[in-house]
Amino acid sequence: MHSEHVAVAKVFPYKLKYPMAYTEEELKKELETKEYEYGFYTDIDSETFPVGLNEEVVRGISQKKNEPEWMTSWRLEAFKAWKVMDEPNWANVKYNKPNYQDISYYSAPKKKDQYKSLDEVDPELLKTFKKLGISLDEQKKLAGVAVDIVMDSVSVATTFKETLAEKGIIFCSISEAIKEHPDLVKKYIGTVIPFKDNFFAALNSAVFSDGSFCYIPKGVRCPMELSTYFRINQAGTGQFERTLVIADESSYVSYLEGCTAPSRDENQLHAAVVELIALDDAEIKYSTVQNWFPGDKNGKGGVYNFVTKRGICHTRSKISWTQVETGSAVTWKYPSCILKGNDSIGEFYSIALTNNYQQADTGTKMIHLGKNTKSTIISKGISAGKSQNSYRGLVQVSPRATNARNFSQCDSLLMGNKCGAHTFPYIEVKNKSAQIEHEATTSKIGEDQVFYCNQRGIDPEKAIALIVNGFSKEVLNKLPMEFAVEAQKLLEISLEGSVG
Amino acid sequence: MLSIENLHAQVEGKKILNGIDLDIKAGEVHAIMGPNGSGKSTLSAAIAGHQDYDVTKGAMILEGEDLSELDAEERAHKGVFLSFQYPVEIPGVSVTNFIKTAINANRKAKGFEDMPAKEMLQKIREKSNLLEIDSRFLSRSLNEGFSGGEKKRNEIFQMAMLEPKLSILDETDSGLDIDALKIVANGVNKLRSKDNAILVITHYQRLLEYIVPDFVHVLFDGKIVKSGTKDLAIQLEEKGYDWIKEMA
Amino acid sequence: MEFKEKLLASHLAFEGSIDFSDSVHQTRLESLKTFEQKGFPTRKDEAWKYTSLNSMLRNDFALFPETETTIEIKKVKKYFLYEIDTYKVVFIDGVYSPFLSDTTHDGLDVCLISAALSKSKYRKFIDTYFNKIADTKDSLTSLNTSFTKEGAYIYIPKSVVAEKPIELIHFSTGKEKSLWLQPRNLIVVDKNAQVQILERHQSLKPHQVVTNSVTEIFAHQDSFLDYYKIQNDFSTASLIDNTYISQQKNSNVSMHTFSLGGKLTRNNLNFYLKGTNANATLKGVTILDEKQHVDHYTLVDHIKPKCESHQDYKGVFSEGAVGVFNGKIHVDQIAQKTNAFQQNNNILLDDKATVNTKPQLEIFADDVKCSHGCTVGQLDEEALFYLQSRGIPKKEAKALMTYAFANNVLESVELPILKRRINILIAKKLGVNLGFDL
Repeated sequence: MHSEHVAVAKVFPYKLKYPMAYTEEELKKELETKEYEYGFYTDIDSETFPVGLNEEVVRGISQKKNEPEWMTSWRLEAFKAWKVMDEPNWANVKYNKPNYQDISYYSAPKKKDQYKSLDEVDPELLKTFKKLGISLDEQKKLAGVAVDIVMDSVSVATTFKETLAEKGIIFCSISEAIKEHPDLVKKYIGTVIPFKDNFFAALNSAVFSDGSFCYIPKGVRCPMELSTYFRINQAGTGQFERTLVIADESSYVSYLEGCTAPSRDENQLHAAVVELIALDDAEIKYSTVQNWFPGDKNGKGGVYNFVTKRGICHTRSKISWTQVETGSAVTWKYPSCILKGNDSIGEFYSIALTNNYQQADTGTKMIHLGKNTKSTIISKGISAGKSQNSYRGLVQVSPRATNARNFSQCDSLLMGNKCGAHTFPYIEVKNKSAQIEHEATTSKIGEDQVFYCNQRGIDPEKAIALIVNGFSKEVLNKLPMEFAVEAQKLLEISLEGSVG
Repeated sequence: MLSIENLHAQVEGKKILNGIDLDIKAGEVHAIMGPNGSGKSTLSAAIAGHQDYDVTKGAMILEGEDLSELDAEERAHKGVFLSFQYPVEIPGVSVTNFIKTAINANRKAKGFEDMPAKEMLQKIREKSNLLEIDSRFLSRSLNEGFSGGEKKRNEIFQMAMLEPKLSILDETDSGLDIDALKIVANGVNKLRSKDNAILVITHYQRLLEYIVPDFVHVLFDGKIVKSGTKDLAIQLEEKGYDWIKEMA
Repeated sequence: MEFKEKLLASHLAFEGSIDFSDSVHQTRLESLKTFEQKGFPTRKDEAWKYTSLNSMLRNDFALFPETETTIEIKKVKKYFLYEIDTYKVVFIDGVYSPFLSDTTHDGLDVCLISAALSKSKYRKFIDTYFNKIADTKDSLTSLNTSFTKEGAYIYIPKSVVAEKPIELIHFSTGKEKSLWLQPRNLIVVDKNAQVQILERHQSLKPHQVVTNSVTEIFAHQDSFLDYYKIQNDFSTASLIDNTYISQQKNSNVSMHTFSLGGKLTRNNLNFYLKGTNANATLKGVTILDEKQHVDHYTLVDHIKPKCESHQDYKGVFSEGAVGVFNGKIHVDQIAQKTNAFQQNNNILLDDKATVNTKPQLEIFADDVKCSHGCTVGQLDEEALFYLQSRGIPKKEAKALMTYAFANNVLESVELPILKRRINILIAKKLGVNLGFDL
């Protein structure tokens, strides 16, 4: 009954829609649209597998994608592992577990060829992008964002390939990478998140249908933000995209990811895997604005977002995760850093906003293995309506990780007393030279703050949006600017109706 | 401009204002003085429309319109400005961002488009100069970690930006050293015009040396017990509030 | 036979040997069922993630030491607050020792739970309080309940201020090579009453002893309770302390736990704030070395509005010691105006020690002030150097700084003599002789 198929890469519509600053006018328009903004369905001719999961399906997916034998067997192994694993239930979320035999594991827009120009793209798809505020056309003009768009698990368009190719940067769908760059994929896939890591990662490894791949060569600073836009479209499908980002020595890349899905009565399943590899002296900045359909006001429908994201840092490298989570009915997500190399740095900046019946259990793991490793965790949780919002994080310092440093700050903002805010930090230290600091606070919006705004002519709803944005500032500041503007708007939209 | 008639107000069931009559015309500066607990701050909160302050009787007419039924933000749109005795902190929201939001909210209420960015910037620059505010200050979180003087200067800066018809300065001198007081008073004086009015609420006469009122009223026990010119303030300073208590 | 099986098998015989009321029998049987179902907790249980009982449970424990043993006072005097007058309830290998005890029924009850459970005049009382606040779903608590036989029973009637502190002391002699003890205490502080209590578990020589203790405390309206747990046993002794505290309106309970000795210590400390304006204080100093393991598991459940709770736990760890802090603040939806604070600071003195800390907040009300903070670090090298440069040897300097670190926990100890005693214990633990009194 549940779960739909999800799509892969996204470019965030935002930059394109609102180059530079957003205006009040645009905000006004947004506010008038009380319903989920991206809840439309695109009627693109697609090819969908019948529901159910077995070895044949796994093989079928691999076949559809013309994958080499090694990939097929990897998937099958993952599937074997998955079969004997249990769905985790330790998170602070309650939901009806999906029936995994009731999901279709493959859905692709029928056109399978690579698009060389926009003319070749299905006009319906272009319309979709328009609705989302992006047109590829516009993108090209604006330049600055290279986009891989994945709908219902198949990558449909990657722009800017040529510009990037000049620098030796590979940015394409993972399917293409498996064919064109098998050595790289083979070398790195599953190394940060082995398929046995957890139930959802195993499932993803067996059935992922597409996703994005990115390789930045040695010493190259990627000249533009790379962006992937994910969208679930087809009903009754699940989405299992797979992202692999490799930053070779001394390279730099900033990667953006955005997500939307149509409003549906049923729950849709999204189980993605993102692996980041930062080799010596490399830096990866990975930003997400997650706005999957959160379900309606009564908690009906919405996306189950069960995502495994993890990066490994080699010597002197840095991985920075920034996420703004406003969507999904249930979120289960812990972007993590393995600080393997000496002097490596991990960062996690997160805003998680839940309203109505949404549930989020999200946070990070910082695993300090190398010497002089540093990590920073800033988490801002905002709960409204009847939602439950949990931060769950692990900071682990191994016996050999001399001079490890961690600072964590987890702040919760509660709006009304029907929601919950929870903090579950785990701190495990086995080295005496570690310096670990963790702080958490819980607060509400002060009536005096709202009155102060009112007195200046700002209405209560806007006042709350302003205060929430202020509360989230430290994290919003970490996003690329246009993304931050969109994120601010999202926060505002997501809080609608929670004032009172 | 503002006419208050027989205003009664209470907080949490406790009667604070017991029939205030006050008539303020455009271009005038009025001062309300009174001892602690006389109802000064209640009067300003009641005019501004704080929800905790129940107006039980009487009327507040601003340019022919009764404010009593309006929400706080609607009163602001009509041109009521309150400089808070204790300005509120809003972490993460910069002074600039806040004033921008406020200005555009007021414009929206009047049916205007947002103020163009260029004009906004120019105005911010102009008004911040008036209050001797430097640009770094503008990017700080609103009132967070501000000194007493910075808070009050910021209040008057907002007043300058919003150009209200009626400004209520609630204990604006408290917590100010003499230099800051001069800057603030100077700012207020420059904002005085024949079209707006100012209501200064203060415990001490000190501020009135710099913002010279046309009328002074003494508030005691929720009522105005004496009105006069600025000389009344001097008299009050000399004789103390006991003098008023004896009269009342 | 596995220890669990042994416990289950022994219960039948045990049940026949005692003479408690039917309802108590019933409770015991139900509790045994719970224990049978759940068994001993394992690291798969989230609450036991960092503490394993496995190796401990491999011993073949004696459950019922045969006879009463007498001990000469001079041998154990140092374990009492002998400098001041106190009530005492003393047990030796789980058996009450009238010789060492000093009980009373004069104006207040300081006596035995076995009497309360068997005598009809206490029936109503037992029905009201016994096993009423203890977590009946918890396996170790249930195990204790099912074997309830002996322990302290304390009742401070309305408006009575106990004029001297009460000491609860459990000695184990080592006559049994491995001994499993399960004391059960019930403490009721009635309206407006006040009392100070001190609890201690002490082996007299190194031997395998495990104490699975349950204490239920009811603090009624306007009452004051000041409770101290001193855990400084031999490194062969283990303790699982389950304490449940129910607080009514305006009551004030503070609990200090000093964990210096023992092999494995698990403190399950549960506060239920059931009346408005109740105030709970939980403080702990933990100093461990030599493979010691202490796990503080605290729950403060804010059930009613306007209550306040303060938690402050300090830990210093070295030489293979493991310190765990697992503190949870739960704020109910109706518990508006709650103030709940939690602080956990740890120092690692070397690389063989481990700290696992998990401070949790679960908040369901919006008008609250809740915060927690925790740190892991080491003694400030510069401060150490400063002290050394003033001629203080490194070891003493370290001890001094450790004191300073733990000081605000010690500060709130209300009994001066106890404060002195703890200072001495800490100095000993740190291996120094300090010429100062803190």
